[in-house]
This record gives sequence, C-alpha cells and structure tokens, in this order.
Amino acid sequence: MKDLRIAGGAMTPFNRRKDGSSWRDWCLVAFDEALRDAALEVADVDALVVASESDFFSLQLNPAAMIADALGLHGIRVQRVEGGGATGHLAVQAGAALVAAGLARRVAVLGFEASASHLDGASVGALYSLSYDAWSEGESGIGSAAIYALSARAWMAETGATEADFARVAARNRQNARHNRFAHLPLDVTEADVRASAAVATPYRRLDCSPLSDGAACVILAAPGDLPAGAGRARLAGMGVANDRVRLGDRAAPGRFFAKRVALRAALGQAGCALSDVGLAEVYDSFSGAQLQALDALGLTDDVLAAERAGHFTAEGALPVNLSGGLLGQGAPVGATGVAQVLAAAQQLEGRYHGLRPAVPPRFALVDTHGGIATLCAVSILEAPR
Amino acid sequence: MKRSLRLDYTLPKGRLAPHFDALAEGRALAWRCVCGHVAFPPGLTCVACGARDGQWIELGGTALVEHRTDTPEAAWALARFDGADTAVMVRIKTPELTTSRGHLVPPEEDAGLWLALEETEDENRSVRRLE
Repeated sequence: MKDLRIAGGAMTPFNRRKDGSSWRDWCLVAFDEALRDAALEVADVDALVVASESDFFSLQLNPAAMIADALGLHGIRVQRVEGGGATGHLAVQAGAALVAAGLARRVAVLGFEASASHLDGASVGALYSLSYDAWSEGESGIGSAAIYALSARAWMAETGATEADFARVAARNRQNARHNRFAHLPLDVTEADVRASAAVATPYRRLDCSPLSDGAACVILAAPGDLPAGAGRARLAGMGVANDRVRLGDRAAPGRFFAKRVALRAALGQAGCALSDVGLAEVYDSFSGAQLQALDALGLTDDVLAAERAGHFTAEGALPVNLSGGLLGQGAPVGATGVAQVLAAAQQLEGRYHGLRPAVPPRFALVDTHGGIATLCAVSILEAPR
Repeated sequence: MKRSLRLDYTLPKGRLAPHFDALAEGRALAWRCVCGHVAFPPGLTCVACGARDGQWIELGGTALVEHRTDTPEAAWALARFDGADTAVMVRIKTPELTTSRGHLVPPEEDAGLWLALEETEDENRSVRRLE
C-alpha cells in the first residue's frame, strides 16, 4: 500500500452544544485546527471528504458541497461518505483511497454530526431505529439499545459474560475520558454506579450506553512527499471493510461480530504486520458489551473475558483499549466518531496524545468502527513514524 | 432558528408484499428457497445459497424466544418461528409473561412482528431455555 500519512488533525469537544454554535462552526474549527496541525494552508487541500450520517440531524442535504463552500474550498474534488456508525472511519478510508489512486494529493476528511442538540432524544432514537432493517425491526418500534441488548444476550449466553463485565468497561472508559479535554462524559463513576443506573434495555443500563453528541473532527491525509513534516507523522498502514447480514436473526451467531474479523484480516495484510504487533486499540463501544464483543471478534486475545477481568485492556495493561474514553466517554457525534478514533490512535503512536497514554507508545495501533450492529465494519491499522 | 418537518411516506412493499400483507393479518408467510432454506422474515436473496427463486409458504405462526430484552416501556425478543431457518426480532405483546413460546398476532400500535407469549411453559415444546 502507498505510504499514506495522517498529516495532522483536530477535533472539537464532543458534547451537547448549548452555546448557540452551529455544525458549520464546528466544521470550521476542526478543519482550521487540522490544517494548522499539519502546517498546511487551505489552498494546499485538493480534496474534501465529508462524513455525515444523516441529513435529518443537520437539515442540510448535500452537506459536502455546503461545507466546502463554507471552508473556502472551491474547484476541488468534494464528496460525502455515509455508512451508519462507521461513517467517519469509512470517510478516512475513502480519503486515503483518493490519495492512493492518485486522484488527490492532500485530502481533508471532515466528520460532523449534530445528533444531540438539534432534535429531541425521542426523535433521534426514532431515526436511529431506521439504522437496521427499517421494514422489520424498525417497524416494531425497537431502538438501538434493545437491538444491542439482544446481541449482548446472545454473546453472554455463549461466553458466560456478565453484567459486571459490562459495567467494568463502562466505568473504565468514563474514567479514561476524564483525561480527555474533548470528552462528552468524563465521569468519575464506578462499576457499582453503572449497575445502579436506570435500566434501559436489559442487560443494559443508562451508563452502559454511549451518549448522543454534537461535534466535528478532521484529519489531513497525504503522502510524505506532499507534506512539510514529511514522514514524521503516523502512517495509515492498512485498511479493511466488511459487511454482515443486517438482521441479527439472519446471522448464524447473533452475538458475534464476524465481519470485523474479515475487515481486520484485510487491514493486517496491507499493513504487513501480525495481530500480536498491535499495542493499542480504539474500539467501537456504542454499548459496554459491544466493546467486549468487538475485541472478541477481532481476536486480540485468545480469551477476551479472562483478559478483561485481568486488566489486559487498561492503560497499564498489555493492550490498552479506548484510552480516549471511546464512544462511552468521549462521545459519539456519528460522522465525527471514526475520524476522532483515527486521530486519537495516530497521536498516540506519535507520542503526543493529550489524554491518557500508555507508558511507551506502541508501533502499531488498531481502529475499529461499525455501523448498524457490526453490520458495516471498518478496521484500520496505523503505524508509528520511524 | 426553528424548523419543523412533517413527512408522510408511501413505501411500496415490492416483491415482499405478500409477507407484509400476511403480517397485517397475523399470518406468518415465509419464503422457501429452491435450496430448501426457509426465511422468516423473507429477503430478496437466500441467505444460505444466494438464489432468488423459491415460493411462499405459510408457517404455523408459533415461535420460540431465544433471547429477550425488557425496556421500561416494552419487551422485544429474538425468536425463531417453527419451520423457519432464520430468527427474527419480535415485539412481545404480553411483556408481563416470561415464558419462551408464543404465537404471531396482528400488529397493534406499530407495524412489524408481534408475539403473544403463552401463559404457561410447555416443557415438551420448549427445547431451549430462555436466559
């Protein structure tokens, strides 16, 4: 794969905006800061990939054209990418493909979502219920939490995972987020707090669920020869995407996220590294159990539950996971989520991440994101600059 | 700024119309592929072999709950209808019951699949315990 670098990046705080700012403002801030981080000018960007899940949130169709105009980008290649929860990550991979194909030299990938403050929670929930098979699951009024809960139930029945395991993940990610100045839910909560929070969809409670967030994130992608910093930034070494059956009931094992493993194999193959080389991961934890299901599907350890219970995935563990706080702690403005995951992993590898960091930056990091319920899965492998 | 949208969609059901028409009557119409795989709910392509040819068959409408989740307002389950090779998400019409078998009923408030649970567990018919 062509040598591609994450030349720079930035994000706004992820939260529920109450300051009167608009998603156009957030995009502008993330883009300008990302350019500054990459030591580039607006005129250096020759392609813009916008990640946005739903026009129902922004009430702006064709948002890529609108954002390009707002950023002062004209006469360049502009496109929009959408893939449910994986939207931002898919946009990063689409931007990388433009560079790899020689269609652009410096691509800005800009993800945003206004999923917290523009609509009431019930309306957002109703829209998200259309993320599955809108003609079957969506028709009965089921929401994301209940669908994830059913998958979690299946995984628990197969593996022996408990609500305590889920609560540990939920509390840890919120604690990790306390070091992240952009995080939506940097909460000082314990496992007991999680298990005492209000029931949402058994086995999930309120603190097992990621929040609806507003925000934007941006990364700049380019080959080293097109960058002032040359090869001094993290490399996007491998990319994979794979899909699964949309309906849980059509899957052989509704608790298993098999498509992640397929995507991972492709990404590892491109990166030319082994899974055992991965020393840090940002994993899609829309719900606490989903983090464990993801780690299980990715095969990052032989026994995920034993590893989880032994502290393997903590900042001090052998494979730190979601030091940013993940979706549970950092938040989840959907289009920006995957972009921010990639940004966090890149900055960790460069040893300049602002939040919680491992004692020694690893050489390889993994980023995992999905749409639906692991229906559309994106995995990337990043490598530290050398 | 304040904006309000009211959107009234008309969604043609296409090739799956017989299934949805039957659901509205509380009947379970499945698709049996030429390979023998029975899909309920049906899809446009067989999940087992990829074929698109087959025929509609009517199932008895009884199902076994494999996994269940309860929310403060309602309950849903992943259930497998007798005679089907796939499972399906259903809304439980009788959330106060915790038995594992039920039967399809016509939808009430929303559309979709609704399952009314049996009041007592039939140990001879329940082959899988609900967790």
